[in-house]
Amino acid sequence: MKRLLLTLAALSALSAPARAAEAGLSAYPPKLALKGVEDCPQIVVTETRADGRAFDLSGSATYTVSDAKVARVDATGRVFPLANGTTEITITANGRTVKVPLTAEKMDAPQPLNYPNQVSPIFTKLSCSSGGCHGKIAGQNGFRLSLLGFDPAFDYENLLKETRGRRVFPAAPERSLLLTKAAGIVPHGGGKKMDPDGEEFKIVRRWIASGMPYGNPTDPTVSKITVFPENRVVDRKGRQQLAVYAHYSDGTVEDVTRRAQYESNDTDIASVSESGVVNTQNVTGQAGVMARFNGFVTVFRATVPRGGDAAAFDFKPNTVVDTHTANKWKELNIAPSALASDEVFMRRAYLDLTGTLPDVKDVLAFAESKDAAKREKLIDQLLDTPEYAYFFANKWADILRVKRRNQPDRAYGTFAFHTWIREAVAADKPYDEFVRDILCAIGDESKSPPTVWYKEVRTPENFVDDVSQVFLGQRMACANCHHHPYEKWSQDDYWGMAAFFGRVGFKPVVTPGRAQQNQQNQRQALFVKSTGNVQNKRTNKTADPKPLDADPMLTGTDEDPRAKFADWMTSPKNPFFAKTVANRYWAHFFGRGIVDPIDDMRVTNPPSNPELLDALAKNLVDNKFSLKELIRTICKSRTYQLSAEPTELNKNDKQSFARYYPKRLQAEVLFDAVAKLTDSPTAFPGLPTDKFAPNRAIMLPDESFASYFLDVTGRPQRISACECERVNDASLAMTLHLLNSQEVQDKIARASGRADRLAKDPRPDAEKVTELFVLATGQKPSAEKLKLALEHIAKHEKTKKTAYENIVWALLNTKGFLFNQ
Amino acid sequence: MLRILGSARRFCDGASRRDFLQIGAFGAGLTLADMLRGGTAQAAAKKQPSRSRKSAIMIYLPGGPSHMDMYDLKPDAPVEFRGEFKAIDTNVPGVQICEHMPLQAKMWDKLACVRSLVSVDEHSDTLVMTGYPDRVNRIAEHPSFGSVVSKLRGEDAGAVPPFVSLRGMSRGTEPGYLGIAHRPFTPGGQGNSNLRLANGVTLDRLEDRKGLLGAFDDTRREIDATGSMAGMDAYTEKAMEMVTAGVVRDALDLKKEDPKVVERYKGVESFLTARRLVEAGVGCVTLSIGGWDTHGQNFTTLKRQLPQVDKGIANLIQDLHDRGMAEDVVTVMWGEFGRTPKVNMNAGRDHWSPVMSAMIAGGGLKMGQAVGASTAKGERPKDRPYSVPQLLSTIYRAMGIDPSQTFNNGAGRPMYILDEREPVKELLG
Repeated sequence: MKRLLLTLAALSALSAPARAAEAGLSAYPPKLALKGVEDCPQIVVTETRADGRAFDLSGSATYTVSDAKVARVDATGRVFPLANGTTEITITANGRTVKVPLTAEKMDAPQPLNYPNQVSPIFTKLSCSSGGCHGKIAGQNGFRLSLLGFDPAFDYENLLKETRGRRVFPAAPERSLLLTKAAGIVPHGGGKKMDPDGEEFKIVRRWIASGMPYGNPTDPTVSKITVFPENRVVDRKGRQQLAVYAHYSDGTVEDVTRRAQYESNDTDIASVSESGVVNTQNVTGQAGVMARFNGFVTVFRATVPRGGDAAAFDFKPNTVVDTHTANKWKELNIAPSALASDEVFMRRAYLDLTGTLPDVKDVLAFAESKDAAKREKLIDQLLDTPEYAYFFANKWADILRVKRRNQPDRAYGTFAFHTWIREAVAADKPYDEFVRDILCAIGDESKSPPTVWYKEVRTPENFVDDVSQVFLGQRMACANCHHHPYEKWSQDDYWGMAAFFGRVGFKPVVTPGRAQQNQQNQRQALFVKSTGNVQNKRTNKTADPKPLDADPMLTGTDEDPRAKFADWMTSPKNPFFAKTVANRYWAHFFGRGIVDPIDDMRVTNPPSNPELLDALAKNLVDNKFSLKELIRTICKSRTYQLSAEPTELNKNDKQSFARYYPKRLQAEVLFDAVAKLTDSPTAFPGLPTDKFAPNRAIMLPDESFASYFLDVTGRPQRISACECERVNDASLAMTLHLLNSQEVQDKIARASGRADRLAKDPRPDAEKVTELFVLATGQKPSAEKLKLALEHIAKHEKTKKTAYENIVWALLNTKGFLFNQ
Repeated sequence: MLRILGSARRFCDGASRRDFLQIGAFGAGLTLADMLRGGTAQAAAKKQPSRSRKSAIMIYLPGGPSHMDMYDLKPDAPVEFRGEFKAIDTNVPGVQICEHMPLQAKMWDKLACVRSLVSVDEHSDTLVMTGYPDRVNRIAEHPSFGSVVSKLRGEDAGAVPPFVSLRGMSRGTEPGYLGIAHRPFTPGGQGNSNLRLANGVTLDRLEDRKGLLGAFDDTRREIDATGSMAGMDAYTEKAMEMVTAGVVRDALDLKKEDPKVVERYKGVESFLTARRLVEAGVGCVTLSIGGWDTHGQNFTTLKRQLPQVDKGIANLIQDLHDRGMAEDVVTVMWGEFGRTPKVNMNAGRDHWSPVMSAMIAGGGLKMGQAVGASTAKGERPKDRPYSVPQLLSTIYRAMGIDPSQTFNNGAGRPMYILDEREPVKELLG
């Protein structure tokens, strides 16, 4: 085994950022002890300037080895040992010098090889075992490898024993099919992957020649991987060489920079090469670069600040949010936009908290109020409205999949579950209790509405997928069939979670006089069986109930396994639970998660502002999981009050919330807003029609209320537990519907609708037009727009209703109406 | 053909993650926002290799048409199997079809069929439209063929909807995880009436309103980092054009067609509508004809229906040839399964999924053949068994779409368009 021997002391010293504050040139690692010709580590050269900023010079430094017989260094800073001995590398850059002592040993005899540690990563790196090729379930042309080499023992068997062993040929290693195919010597569907003179070819060749060892059971295995540096501020069009280290179970550390795989989560900001060089683009922001080796992942975070002079700003924090957003802006050298006007803020808060357009009189009164705390008071006031409860119940009903599937017999359950959610939201039921009641739901759905959740969560797989995505922000579905490619989760983690579902049982609740029907559509009762289990798909053995990163939890026959799972999940110590809902709510108000996508909180998809997310999660735990308190913290922040208008100092910002990002009104809110603007509400078939009945789209209890309007504006069908199913993008069908549908035209032209009444209203036209603008966009019209509208009315003096209809139509199609900004 | 991926690499794994992202911008993950971030839509379109503008017409015969009485006759089988109909020669030596489809027989050089398709016993169009059986798709939600076309054409579709269903919505026409934006446009539904000026609005009035909108709508689209605002502006232009120019509306209006032509399609006008729609630039049209669940009176029913289908197909395919569109339009006709080879006591045939036939034409595929064969009594594939997704895969390829392309579903999992995607080799020629 080749090993780059770094003492642990040296490692910890260098990972401490404080050390980098001294100006000068440094090299990492500070010294090298190389074993064997294949031990060729990367040196990362860093210049620290007087202001504390660190710059990577690995690619531009000059490297000189005192004894050229012992080792050489290439232009990128990679070291190649040549013979046993001791020497020193002198690194020169920008007129400064640093020296790296080096010893090389065991150069005469090749080191023994280990398949999982040295050979398998080659197939992963060259993407032989990728999902599009041999890594897919069916393999490629009869040759299958486990996806990304996560199961080396399986791959080893396939390589050696399938197709009568013709893939490897120890008598003439270079004539092995494995090598002739990979090197493109014989036709290979995947093309030429290896150069016969390259390192990979040589290692595989040597492995075959030495009799294809798998390695000893006592050989060390990888226990984690690390990257150097872990994060760094890199200028635009800048460069950062990474070095990746595998840490083995025996405490040794090995440079695997050239053998790891890399991937950037935002290539607009930073891209990464196969040899671990990160190149930043011309965009301000942050990117996470993943490194993967042998089933382990880690991430390097690049922060790319705006160039130019320091952006100064004055930002008095209102809540904990503001401290952390301001810190991030300083780091990125950007500045926040100005605060939004009262009118804009009011419309924003109304739409975000209640899904409702504010009344004209309320907007005007709010703007006139001299109360210094009026914005905070508005938030408190809105949180107590029934609309808040309806709007957020709708949000939860999407991801809890309150779904009738057009089955009349299911309506009882979906209506009851929706009401249960709404009442929980209105009463601010602590979030941990809310989740526990759903997870551990038991009994007849007529008495226990959360059991309706289990009507869509019917199998152990549904359970893992929905629970992990909705409550833990983890997308576990990958690990159903194979190791998660971007996380540490294995199939055993997946099936460990699935096992908690093993004793859930269902039985129909019989209605006397009614024939038994399709069970899923009938009223049901959920009970906990005294036995029952779930099989791990990988091992075909019974899976022990085990939460993520925790010990197995065995339960007695008189206990509900789900209760222990809920204990683990809702514990304040759970690393995922509070953060997930904090991030979900943040995204609701800011249009983008701190982690984005919101339910993909991977190690390799880091938050854009980790301290902010931690603070929100802590806030939630400290306040006994009160979601209203979380909303107060978010919405009373100064950050939430920023204008959407970008400034020169933040115009490219799209992830650090230096301004408000406008959001298109979601389907139900838009539907209701059109009804309010035209004063033509819609009754939904199947709901009561009396004057107290819910007649707003945000109040609909489930998905089965047919509406072309709601469909084209992106209402989800609740087929997944992902908020991404809701579409808020522009679409042609939606634009057509708003511009030219009979539905919208009829609302606009309805007798005694808004346009009709305004036409008949004796007040001056200017006043009426102003009122329309405030209702539609939250703002008074400019003098120019007012003049234009009045001219339009004058032109249609004889048919004033037509004129008002046209004005309503035009306002309804402006971005000022369609967006919350 | 794989060039639609935006890369000339043909290899199974040639695409690195970075390539994939670039591909995504023009293929899989295409949103208008992406395109606008990279410049204007036109500029983005120029960067990519020429995109296929091929179209597909998918004719669905609901109920399960009898393979033994259409494209796979067994004149030598015992009478209780072969039924009442006789086989006739086509203009391609060695290929025979049913006597009640004489028009197709005269032009078999322009048609082909697959006689060894294996299906599933489900009364649903899910399998033939999505490539996955209904029982799988109730959970997996794979998209309809037309929805995939819609997704890939994206914003590039011009002022026509990319996917039109002339038979309304069904399980098989659902876009599944691609999202409701990719539902088919259904004439007769609300989407269609939106193409006509709403009652109470004249063209002059629309112009009048447009003027007001232009003046009122001064929100700077630059304030929106997601591109959604810019998208909306682009769509407003396009929507206005659709309403005022009315390309799709005209295509759906058979009064705009030569009466002599309409006469040729008498009784099967939806075939003509389909032709007019693909001429207008629609990417996928689906239509259905007849009821084929002939548990009783199979032969009486087919004697009435087969000539209709024959007329529709013959006119459609001939028209496409006459217009030089045969290579650009692939047409397929099939149902959910075949029917029992042995005639039952009601002179009917029951469900039979072990084997069925499909007719296919155009799209640059190899015509003038009958691929595969069933056993002597038409009971199961004798050789070259093909699955339904394999024929769909062939149609995707004919359209220039790589069926191994993936889209992420709601759980973030990349899903292949088709899991089973080895094409029907004989058709690729």
